[in-house]
Amino acid sequence: MELLNMHPLIVIVLTPIAALLAGLFFMGVTRKFTARIHWRYGPPITQPLIDIMRMFSQRPVSHGTMFHGGVILSLAGALAVLLFIPFGNIPPLSGSGGLLVILYLLLVAPLGLALSSGEGANPNASIGISRKLMLSLGYEVPLLLILLTLMTRYGTLSIYDIVHAQQETQWALVTVPLFISGIAYILILPAVLGIRPFEVVQAAQEISSGPLVEYSGPYLGLVHLEHGLTLVINIALFVNLFMGGAQNILLFFVKMIIILLAGLSINAVFPRLRTDQAVSWLWRWPALLALTGLITVMIWR
Amino acid sequence: MDRNQLIKWLKTPAKMSHKYSLHAVYFCTGCGIIEVPPSITARWDAERFGVVPAATPRQANLFLITGYVSVKTLKAIIRTYEQMPSPKYSVGFGSCPINGGMYWDSYNTIKHLDKYIPIDGWIAGCMPRPEAIFVAVTHLWTLIDKDMADGYKRYEKHYSAFRANQEQVLGPLPWPPLFSSRETE
Repeated sequence: MELLNMHPLIVIVLTPIAALLAGLFFMGVTRKFTARIHWRYGPPITQPLIDIMRMFSQRPVSHGTMFHGGVILSLAGALAVLLFIPFGNIPPLSGSGGLLVILYLLLVAPLGLALSSGEGANPNASIGISRKLMLSLGYEVPLLLILLTLMTRYGTLSIYDIVHAQQETQWALVTVPLFISGIAYILILPAVLGIRPFEVVQAAQEISSGPLVEYSGPYLGLVHLEHGLTLVINIALFVNLFMGGAQNILLFFVKMIIILLAGLSINAVFPRLRTDQAVSWLWRWPALLALTGLITVMIWR
Repeated sequence: MDRNQLIKWLKTPAKMSHKYSLHAVYFCTGCGIIEVPPSITARWDAERFGVVPAATPRQANLFLITGYVSVKTLKAIIRTYEQMPSPKYSVGFGSCPINGGMYWDSYNTIKHLDKYIPIDGWIAGCMPRPEAIFVAVTHLWTLIDKDMADGYKRYEKHYSAFRANQEQVLGPLPWPPLFSSRETE
Protein backbone atom coordinates (compact mmCIF):
# COMPACT_ATOMS: atom_id res chain seq x y z
CA MET A 1 0.00 0.00 0.00
CA GLU A 2 1.93 2.95 -1.30
CA LEU A 3 -0.32 5.86 -0.35
CA LEU A 4 -3.41 5.83 1.81
CA ASN A 5 -6.21 7.08 -0.39
CA MET A 6 -7.49 9.62 2.08
CA HIS A 7 -8.59 13.12 1.46
CA PRO A 8 -5.80 15.52 2.57
CA LEU A 9 -8.12 17.28 5.00
CA ILE A 10 -8.76 14.01 6.83
CA VAL A 11 -5.00 13.45 7.08
CA ILE A 12 -4.50 16.97 8.46
CA VAL A 13 -7.13 16.38 11.15
CA LEU A 14 -6.17 12.83 12.08
CA THR A 15 -2.39 13.19 12.21
CA PRO A 16 -2.28 15.61 15.17
CA ILE A 17 -4.75 13.50 17.17
CA ALA A 18 -2.78 10.33 16.50
CA ALA A 19 0.48 12.09 17.33
CA LEU A 20 -0.92 13.43 20.63
CA LEU A 21 -1.97 9.92 21.64
CA ALA A 22 1.40 8.56 20.56
CA GLY A 23 3.10 11.27 22.62
CA LEU A 24 1.12 10.24 25.70
CA PHE A 25 2.03 6.62 25.04
CA PHE A 26 5.71 7.52 24.74
CA MET A 27 5.59 9.42 28.03
CA GLY A 28 3.95 6.43 29.70
CA VAL A 29 6.59 4.10 28.29
CA THR A 30 9.22 6.53 29.60
CA ARG A 31 7.97 6.32 33.18
CA LYS A 32 7.43 2.58 33.14
CA PHE A 33 10.77 1.76 31.53
CA THR A 34 12.68 4.11 33.85
CA ALA A 35 10.93 2.55 36.83
CA ARG A 36 11.88 -0.93 35.70
CA ILE A 37 15.51 0.11 35.35
CA HIS A 38 15.32 1.32 38.96
CA TRP A 39 14.07 -2.15 40.06
CA ARG A 40 10.63 -0.85 40.99
CA TYR A 41 7.24 -1.18 39.34
CA GLY A 42 6.27 2.29 38.32
CA PRO A 43 2.93 3.70 37.24
CA PRO A 44 0.71 2.13 34.56
CA ILE A 45 1.34 3.16 30.97
CA THR A 46 -1.86 5.21 30.96
CA GLN A 47 -0.59 7.40 33.79
CA PRO A 48 0.20 10.49 31.64
CA LEU A 49 -3.36 10.37 30.34
CA ILE A 50 -4.69 10.37 33.90
CA ASP A 51 -2.33 13.23 34.79
CA ILE A 52 -3.53 15.31 31.88
CA MET A 53 -7.18 14.60 32.65
CA ARG A 54 -6.57 15.77 36.20
CA MET A 55 -4.80 18.89 35.06
CA PHE A 56 -7.60 19.85 32.71
CA SER A 57 -10.20 19.52 35.47
CA GLN A 58 -8.50 21.94 37.84
CA ARG A 59 -9.27 25.59 38.25
CA PRO A 60 -6.32 27.46 36.81
CA VAL A 61 -4.50 30.57 37.90
CA SER A 62 -3.81 32.82 34.96
CA HIS A 63 -1.23 35.56 34.59
CA GLY A 64 -2.65 37.50 31.66
CA THR A 65 -3.38 37.25 27.98
CA MET A 66 0.17 36.49 26.85
CA PHE A 67 0.21 33.63 29.34
CA HIS A 68 -2.72 31.95 27.57
CA GLY A 69 -1.47 32.94 24.16
CA GLY A 70 2.07 31.67 24.58
CA VAL A 71 0.99 28.18 25.60
CA ILE A 72 -1.41 27.93 22.68
CA LEU A 73 1.27 29.25 20.33
CA SER A 74 3.67 26.60 21.58
CA LEU A 75 1.22 23.76 21.02
CA ALA A 76 0.19 25.15 17.65
CA GLY A 77 3.82 25.37 16.55
CA ALA A 78 4.42 21.76 17.54
CA LEU A 79 1.31 20.63 15.65
CA ALA A 80 2.39 22.62 12.59
CA VAL A 81 5.78 20.88 12.44
CA LEU A 82 3.97 17.57 12.68
CA LEU A 83 2.18 18.08 9.41
CA PHE A 84 5.44 18.38 7.48
CA ILE A 85 7.00 15.12 8.68
CA PRO A 86 6.10 11.90 6.84
CA PHE A 87 4.84 9.12 9.11
CA GLY A 88 5.25 5.82 7.30
CA ASN A 89 3.28 6.12 4.11
CA ILE A 90 1.18 9.08 5.17
CA PRO A 91 2.31 11.96 2.96
CA PRO A 92 3.28 15.25 4.51
CA LEU A 93 1.76 18.59 3.72
CA SER A 94 4.09 19.98 1.09
CA GLY A 95 6.46 18.42 -1.38
CA SER A 96 9.53 20.61 -1.75
CA GLY A 97 11.49 22.68 0.73
CA GLY A 98 10.34 20.48 3.59
CA LEU A 99 13.55 20.44 5.60
CA LEU A 100 13.95 24.21 5.75
CA VAL A 101 10.34 24.69 6.80
CA ILE A 102 10.73 22.09 9.55
CA LEU A 103 13.91 23.77 10.74
CA TYR A 104 12.15 27.12 11.10
CA LEU A 105 8.96 25.77 12.60
CA LEU A 106 10.86 23.79 15.25
CA LEU A 107 11.68 27.13 16.86
CA VAL A 108 8.05 28.19 17.38
CA ALA A 109 7.31 25.81 20.25
CA PRO A 110 10.14 26.95 22.57
CA LEU A 111 9.36 30.55 21.59
CA GLY A 112 5.77 30.19 22.75
CA LEU A 113 6.91 28.66 25.99
CA ALA A 114 9.38 31.49 26.53
CA LEU A 115 6.73 34.15 25.90
CA SER A 116 4.20 32.71 28.28
CA SER A 117 6.54 31.74 31.09
CA GLY A 118 8.12 35.18 30.97
CA GLU A 119 4.67 36.59 31.63
CA GLY A 120 4.59 34.62 34.86
CA ALA A 121 7.21 36.98 36.31
CA ASN A 122 9.05 34.28 38.19
CA PRO A 123 12.87 34.45 38.16
CA ASN A 124 13.09 30.66 37.97
CA ALA A 125 11.24 30.81 34.67
CA SER A 126 13.72 33.29 33.22
CA ILE A 127 16.64 31.13 34.29
CA GLY A 128 14.99 28.10 32.75
CA ILE A 129 14.31 29.86 29.46
CA SER A 130 17.85 31.18 29.21
CA ARG A 131 19.13 27.64 29.81
CA LYS A 132 16.80 26.28 27.17
CA LEU A 133 17.93 28.79 24.58
CA MET A 134 21.59 28.20 25.38
CA LEU A 135 21.10 24.46 25.05
CA SER A 136 19.37 24.86 21.71
CA LEU A 137 22.28 27.07 20.62
CA GLY A 138 24.48 24.14 21.58
CA TYR A 139 22.73 21.48 19.56
CA GLU A 140 21.66 23.65 16.61
CA VAL A 141 25.25 23.91 15.32
CA PRO A 142 25.83 20.16 14.81
CA LEU A 143 22.20 19.72 13.73
CA LEU A 144 22.51 22.27 10.95
CA LEU A 145 25.75 20.69 9.75
CA ILE A 146 24.09 17.27 9.68
CA LEU A 147 21.08 18.54 7.75
CA LEU A 148 23.37 20.32 5.29
CA THR A 149 25.24 17.04 4.79
CA LEU A 150 22.03 15.19 4.04
CA MET A 151 20.80 17.87 1.67
CA THR A 152 24.11 17.80 -0.21
CA ARG A 153 24.26 14.03 -0.41
CA TYR A 154 20.73 13.48 -1.68
CA GLY A 155 20.61 16.73 -3.64
CA THR A 156 17.17 17.73 -2.40
CA LEU A 157 15.48 19.91 0.23
CA SER A 158 12.46 17.68 0.54
CA ILE A 159 12.35 15.21 3.40
CA TYR A 160 9.94 13.05 1.40
CA ASP A 161 12.56 12.60 -1.35
CA ILE A 162 15.22 11.70 1.22
CA VAL A 163 12.94 9.03 2.67
CA HIS A 164 12.21 7.60 -0.78
CA ALA A 165 15.89 7.57 -1.72
CA GLN A 166 16.68 5.57 1.39
CA GLN A 167 13.85 3.15 0.78
CA GLU A 168 15.27 2.42 -2.66
CA THR A 169 18.86 1.92 -1.53
CA GLN A 170 19.53 1.48 2.20
CA TRP A 171 19.40 3.34 5.51
CA ALA A 172 21.53 6.48 5.59
CA LEU A 173 22.89 5.31 8.91
CA VAL A 174 24.86 2.51 7.24
CA THR A 175 25.94 4.32 4.06
CA VAL A 176 29.62 5.05 3.95
CA PRO A 177 29.96 8.83 3.99
CA LEU A 178 26.75 9.43 5.95
CA PHE A 179 27.34 7.19 8.95
CA ILE A 180 29.64 9.87 10.41
CA SER A 181 26.74 12.31 10.42
CA GLY A 182 24.53 9.54 11.76
CA ILE A 183 26.77 9.04 14.76
CA ALA A 184 26.85 12.81 15.32
CA TYR A 185 23.04 12.88 15.27
CA ILE A 186 22.85 10.00 17.75
CA LEU A 187 25.19 11.97 20.02
CA ILE A 188 23.01 15.09 19.96
CA LEU A 189 19.70 13.21 20.16
CA PRO A 190 19.45 13.40 24.00
CA ALA A 191 19.94 17.18 23.77
CA VAL A 192 17.23 17.54 21.15
CA LEU A 193 14.80 15.40 23.16
CA GLY A 194 15.62 17.10 26.45
CA ILE A 195 16.59 13.97 28.37
CA ARG A 196 19.58 13.35 30.60
CA PRO A 197 22.50 14.10 30.35
CA PHE A 198 21.07 17.25 28.73
CA GLU A 199 18.00 17.68 30.92
CA VAL A 200 19.26 21.07 32.10
CA VAL A 201 16.09 22.89 31.01
CA GLN A 202 13.62 21.22 33.33
CA ALA A 203 15.83 20.66 36.31
CA ALA A 204 13.14 20.06 38.89
CA GLN A 205 15.39 20.22 41.90
CA GLU A 206 17.50 23.18 40.89
CA ILE A 207 15.18 25.78 39.43
CA SER A 208 11.74 24.41 40.35
CA SER A 209 11.21 22.98 36.87
CA GLY A 210 12.37 26.09 35.06
CA PRO A 211 9.88 27.41 32.55
CA LEU A 212 7.04 25.31 33.97
CA VAL A 213 7.16 26.95 37.37
CA GLU A 214 3.99 29.06 37.11
CA TYR A 215 1.81 26.69 35.10
CA SER A 216 -1.20 25.22 36.87
CA GLY A 217 -4.19 23.20 35.78
CA PRO A 218 -5.01 23.32 32.06
CA TYR A 219 -1.85 25.24 31.14
CA LEU A 220 0.28 22.49 32.63
CA GLY A 221 -1.81 19.93 30.77
CA LEU A 222 -1.15 21.69 27.47
CA VAL A 223 2.57 21.88 28.21
CA HIS A 224 2.68 18.17 29.01
CA LEU A 225 0.92 17.40 25.74
CA GLU A 226 3.44 19.55 23.93
CA HIS A 227 6.29 17.71 25.63
CA GLY A 228 4.95 14.39 24.38
CA LEU A 229 4.53 15.87 20.92
CA THR A 230 8.13 17.11 20.93
CA LEU A 231 9.30 13.58 21.67
CA VAL A 232 7.30 12.22 18.74
CA ILE A 233 8.46 14.93 16.33
CA ASN A 234 12.16 14.68 17.07
CA ILE A 235 12.28 10.89 17.06
CA ALA A 236 10.26 10.80 13.84
CA LEU A 237 12.68 13.28 12.26
CA PHE A 238 15.63 11.05 13.12
CA VAL A 239 13.91 7.91 11.86
CA ASN A 240 13.00 9.64 8.59
CA LEU A 241 16.41 11.14 7.97
CA PHE A 242 18.67 8.26 8.95
CA MET A 243 16.62 5.10 9.25
CA GLY A 244 14.74 5.36 6.00
CA GLY A 245 11.22 6.07 7.27
CA ALA A 246 9.10 2.99 6.76
CA GLN A 247 6.66 1.54 4.28
CA ASN A 248 3.78 1.51 6.69
CA ILE A 249 3.01 3.31 9.90
CA LEU A 250 3.34 0.28 12.18
CA LEU A 251 6.94 -0.35 11.18
CA PHE A 252 7.61 3.37 11.63
CA PHE A 253 6.17 3.17 15.13
CA VAL A 254 8.38 0.18 15.95
CA LYS A 255 11.47 2.08 14.83
CA MET A 256 10.46 5.07 16.95
CA ILE A 257 10.00 2.85 20.01
CA ILE A 258 13.46 1.36 19.52
CA ILE A 259 15.06 4.81 19.41
CA LEU A 260 13.02 5.91 22.45
CA LEU A 261 14.10 2.91 24.52
CA ALA A 262 17.74 3.48 23.56
CA GLY A 263 17.48 7.10 24.67
CA LEU A 264 15.72 6.12 27.90
CA SER A 265 18.44 3.63 28.78
CA ILE A 266 20.89 6.52 28.73
CA ASN A 267 18.46 8.85 30.51
CA ALA A 268 18.02 6.54 33.46
CA VAL A 269 21.67 6.24 34.42
CA PHE A 270 23.20 9.61 33.63
CA PRO A 271 23.25 12.72 35.82
CA ARG A 272 22.60 16.18 34.51
CA LEU A 273 25.36 18.22 32.87
CA ARG A 274 25.63 21.94 33.60
CA THR A 275 24.71 24.30 30.79
CA ASP A 276 28.29 25.33 30.06
CA GLN A 277 29.47 21.71 30.14
CA ALA A 278 26.64 20.70 27.82
CA VAL A 279 27.25 23.47 25.30
CA SER A 280 31.01 22.99 25.27
CA TRP A 281 30.61 19.24 24.72
CA LEU A 282 28.00 19.72 21.99
CA TRP A 283 30.22 22.17 20.16
CA ARG A 284 33.20 19.87 20.38
CA TRP A 285 32.69 16.21 19.49
CA PRO A 286 29.32 16.09 17.69
CA ALA A 287 30.12 19.30 15.82
CA LEU A 288 33.53 17.96 14.76
CA LEU A 289 31.98 14.72 13.58
CA ALA A 290 29.25 16.57 11.70
CA LEU A 291 31.83 18.85 10.08
CA THR A 292 33.93 15.82 9.08
CA GLY A 293 30.84 14.24 7.59
CA LEU A 294 30.03 17.38 5.62
CA ILE A 295 33.55 17.74 4.23
CA THR A 296 33.65 14.04 3.32
CA VAL A 297 30.35 14.28 1.46
CA MET A 298 31.45 17.39 -0.42
CA ILE A 299 34.72 15.81 -1.49
CA TRP A 300 33.11 12.47 -2.34
CA ARG A 301 30.77 13.88 -4.96
CA MET B 1 -8.89 -3.85 43.18
CA ASP B 2 -10.00 -0.27 42.99
CA ARG B 3 -8.56 0.33 39.58
CA ASN B 4 -10.72 -2.12 37.72
CA GLN B 5 -13.96 -0.25 38.16
CA LEU B 6 -14.37 0.87 34.59
CA ILE B 7 -18.00 1.95 34.83
CA LYS B 8 -17.22 4.34 37.63
CA TRP B 9 -14.41 5.82 35.56
CA LEU B 10 -16.62 6.39 32.58
CA LYS B 11 -19.29 8.12 34.63
CA THR B 12 -16.97 10.56 36.41
CA PRO B 13 -13.57 10.59 34.70
CA ALA B 14 -12.54 13.80 36.47
CA LYS B 15 -12.93 12.14 39.87
CA MET B 16 -10.93 9.12 38.76
CA SER B 17 -8.14 11.36 37.53
CA HIS B 18 -8.08 13.32 40.81
CA LYS B 19 -7.66 10.04 42.66
CA TYR B 20 -4.96 8.42 40.61
CA SER B 21 -2.80 11.43 39.91
CA LEU B 22 -1.90 12.96 43.26
CA HIS B 23 1.15 15.12 42.82
CA ALA B 24 2.50 16.02 46.25
CA VAL B 25 4.15 19.34 47.01
CA TYR B 26 7.67 18.60 48.12
CA PHE B 27 7.29 20.84 51.16
CA CYS B 28 9.72 19.68 53.79
CA THR B 29 8.40 20.60 57.22
CA GLY B 30 9.83 19.22 60.39
CA CYS B 31 10.84 15.67 61.09
CA GLY B 32 8.36 13.86 58.91
CA ILE B 33 10.14 14.65 55.69
CA ILE B 34 12.66 11.92 56.48
CA GLU B 35 9.95 9.37 55.72
CA VAL B 36 9.07 10.77 52.30
CA PRO B 37 12.25 10.06 50.27
CA PRO B 38 12.19 6.33 51.14
CA SER B 39 8.58 6.14 50.02
CA ILE B 40 9.23 7.72 46.63
CA THR B 41 12.38 5.73 45.81
CA ALA B 42 12.80 2.17 44.68
CA ARG B 43 12.05 0.23 47.85
CA TRP B 44 8.56 1.52 48.65
CA ASP B 45 7.55 2.90 45.29
CA ALA B 46 4.93 5.63 45.55
CA GLU B 47 4.80 6.18 41.80
CA ARG B 48 2.70 3.01 41.49
CA PHE B 49 -0.09 4.92 43.22
CA GLY B 50 0.32 7.91 40.96
CA VAL B 51 1.93 9.90 43.78
CA VAL B 52 4.88 11.87 42.45
CA PRO B 53 6.66 14.86 43.99
CA ALA B 54 5.83 18.08 42.21
CA ALA B 55 8.37 20.85 41.79
CA THR B 56 6.12 23.78 42.70
CA PRO B 57 2.79 24.18 44.53
CA ARG B 58 1.18 25.35 41.30
CA GLN B 59 1.71 21.92 39.78
CA ALA B 60 0.53 19.94 42.81
CA ASN B 61 -2.76 18.81 44.27
CA LEU B 62 -1.71 17.00 47.45
CA PHE B 63 -0.20 18.80 50.41
CA LEU B 64 1.52 16.68 53.04
CA ILE B 65 2.22 18.63 56.20
CA THR B 66 4.87 16.35 57.62
CA GLY B 67 5.67 17.17 61.18
CA TYR B 68 5.47 20.00 63.66
CA VAL B 69 4.32 23.42 62.49
CA SER B 70 6.07 26.38 64.04
CA VAL B 71 4.55 29.84 63.71
CA LYS B 72 7.05 30.79 61.00
CA THR B 73 6.25 27.65 59.04
CA LEU B 74 2.52 28.33 59.33
CA LYS B 75 2.94 31.47 57.25
CA ALA B 76 4.72 29.50 54.52
CA ILE B 77 2.14 26.72 54.67
CA ILE B 78 -0.73 29.16 54.21
CA ARG B 79 0.95 30.82 51.23
CA THR B 80 1.75 27.44 49.66
CA TYR B 81 -1.75 26.10 50.19
CA GLU B 82 -3.32 29.17 48.63
CA GLN B 83 -1.11 28.86 45.54
CA MET B 84 -2.26 25.33 44.75
CA PRO B 85 -5.04 25.04 42.17
CA SER B 86 -8.26 23.50 43.43
CA PRO B 87 -9.38 20.74 43.85
CA LYS B 88 -6.59 20.10 46.34
CA TYR B 89 -6.22 17.74 49.26
CA SER B 90 -4.16 18.24 52.39
CA VAL B 91 -3.07 15.52 54.77
CA GLY B 92 -1.60 15.98 58.23
CA PHE B 93 1.29 13.62 58.70
CA GLY B 94 2.48 12.61 62.12
CA SER B 95 1.02 13.43 65.51
CA CYS B 96 2.21 17.03 65.71
CA PRO B 97 -0.40 18.55 63.36
CA ILE B 98 -3.13 16.50 65.07
CA ASN B 99 -2.76 17.71 68.64
CA GLY B 100 0.68 19.18 69.10
CA GLY B 101 2.34 15.78 69.51
CA MET B 102 5.69 15.93 71.22
CA TYR B 103 5.60 19.75 71.34
CA TRP B 104 2.24 19.99 73.08
CA ASP B 105 3.46 22.55 75.60
CA SER B 106 5.67 24.65 73.37
CA TYR B 107 5.08 28.38 72.96
CA ASN B 108 6.03 28.36 69.31
CA THR B 109 4.16 25.48 67.69
CA ILE B 110 0.63 25.14 66.36
CA LYS B 111 -1.37 22.53 68.23
CA HIS B 112 -4.41 22.04 66.00
CA LEU B 113 -3.62 22.69 62.36
CA ASP B 114 -7.22 22.22 61.31
CA LYS B 115 -8.06 25.69 62.59
CA TYR B 116 -5.78 27.39 60.06
CA ILE B 117 -5.80 25.13 56.98
CA PRO B 118 -8.53 22.62 56.09
CA ILE B 119 -7.20 19.08 56.51
CA ASP B 120 -8.81 16.12 54.79
CA GLY B 121 -7.14 13.35 56.75
CA TRP B 122 -4.55 12.61 59.38
CA ILE B 123 -1.85 9.96 59.57
CA ALA B 124 -1.00 9.10 63.15
CA GLY B 125 2.49 8.11 64.15
CA CYS B 126 5.77 9.65 65.14
CA MET B 127 6.90 9.09 62.35
CA PRO B 128 4.52 6.95 60.31
CA ARG B 129 6.20 4.29 58.18
CA PRO B 130 6.03 4.51 54.36
CA GLU B 131 3.41 1.78 54.38
CA ALA B 132 1.25 4.12 56.46
CA ILE B 133 1.56 6.74 53.73
CA PHE B 134 0.21 4.26 51.20
CA VAL B 135 -2.68 3.25 53.45
CA ALA B 136 -3.47 6.95 53.80
CA VAL B 137 -3.43 7.37 50.01
CA THR B 138 -5.93 4.54 49.57
CA HIS B 139 -8.13 6.03 52.30
CA LEU B 140 -7.95 9.38 50.50
CA TRP B 141 -9.13 7.61 47.34
CA THR B 142 -12.17 6.34 49.19
CA LEU B 143 -12.88 9.82 50.55
CA ILE B 144 -12.60 11.36 47.08
CA ASP B 145 -14.99 8.72 45.75
CA LYS B 146 -17.57 9.61 48.38
CA ASP B 147 -17.07 13.38 47.85
CA MET B 148 -15.98 13.72 51.45
CA ALA B 149 -12.53 15.19 50.70
CA ASP B 150 -13.81 18.73 50.39
CA GLY B 151 -11.21 20.71 52.31
CA TYR B 152 -10.84 23.22 49.50
CA LYS B 153 -14.58 23.87 49.47
CA ARG B 154 -14.60 24.37 53.23
CA TYR B 155 -11.75 26.86 52.88
CA GLU B 156 -13.68 28.93 50.40
CA LYS B 157 -16.93 28.73 52.34
CA HIS B 158 -15.52 29.60 55.77
CA TYR B 159 -12.63 31.74 54.63
CA SER B 160 -13.29 34.56 57.07
CA ALA B 161 -13.16 32.17 60.04
CA PHE B 162 -9.91 30.61 58.82
CA ARG B 163 -8.39 34.01 58.23
CA ALA B 164 -9.42 35.23 61.69
CA ASN B 165 -7.65 32.22 63.21
CA GLN B 166 -4.58 32.85 61.08
CA GLU B 167 -4.43 36.50 62.05
CA GLN B 168 -4.80 35.63 65.70
CA VAL B 169 -1.50 33.76 65.56
CA LEU B 170 0.42 35.63 62.88
CA GLY B 171 -0.81 39.17 63.38
CA PRO B 172 -2.19 41.19 60.45
CA LEU B 173 -1.41 39.26 57.26
CA PRO B 174 0.46 41.16 54.54
CA TRP B 175 -1.57 39.62 51.69
CA PRO B 176 -5.15 40.53 50.81
CA PRO B 177 -8.00 38.08 51.50
CA LEU B 178 -8.16 35.30 48.95
CA PHE B 179 -11.93 35.06 48.58
CA SER B 180 -13.12 38.56 49.25
CA SER B 181 -15.81 39.47 46.76
CA ARG B 182 -16.69 36.18 45.03
CA GLU B 183 -14.10 36.63 42.28
CA THR B 184 -11.80 33.87 40.97
CA GLU B 185 -8.47 33.21 42.63
